[in-house]
Amino acid sequence: MRALGCALALLLAPGAFALEAGGAVPELAVARLEEPAQALSLASLRGSVVYVDFWASWCVPCRLSMPALDALYKQNRARGFAVVGVNKDVSVADARRFLVKVPVTFALASDAQDAAARAFDVKAMPSGYLVDRKGIVRKVHRGFTAETAETLAREVEALLKEPS
Amino acid sequence: MKLLLWALVAASICVSACTAVAPYQRGYLARDDMALEGNPGFAKAIEKTFAAKEAASGGASVGGGGCGCN
Repeated sequence: MRALGCALALLLAPGAFALEAGGAVPELAVARLEEPAQALSLASLRGSVVYVDFWASWCVPCRLSMPALDALYKQNRARGFAVVGVNKDVSVADARRFLVKVPVTFALASDAQDAAARAFDVKAMPSGYLVDRKGIVRKVHRGFTAETAETLAREVEALLKEPS
Repeated sequence: MKLLLWALVAASICVSACTAVAPYQRGYLARDDMALEGNPGFAKAIEKTFAAKEAASGGASVGGGGCGCN
């Protein structure tokens, strides 16, 4: 019986650590995409409502999500909303080519060693984690459609109204 | 029975050793040199011939990186 339990635990192990709503945002620092020597710490954004978005140039829905997130960021940054776009391209050149077509103004980071993607346990691309002012993940969006953009705008509005 | 259980444990260890490509690592699969057929024109011709002969299409690679989001 013990062996059977052990076998089941081993089989289920890879899916056991997904970061979902209610969990604390991982305390990690990511390198900025254009200045890799500079780190962007998620802890430094505590007090703001933060959307951590994992994106890549090869991810088709990211062509929709990036302009939508940029519009949301421009609209709400003065009220304490920040977006961190963590790029998952194999080469930075691919990301740059994408950003020429889809320029954004929010902070961009690279994750060459997959540390951030592993810490958040990214299950799909794009994946977005909406974090409240206290550093708690309140919503996880996997995939992105026009409907996601509308839902996210409502969620950001609600979180910005919450006291810090 | 005991032997069967230990065999299951051993099989589980082997299965856990398999590495799945994580959704965020699919940029590697989206590279041109990862295609089953390196020549896109030839791949299209093969696909068209297959669809004509078998009266069925689909199942081949498609545009985009397979982001696993749907």
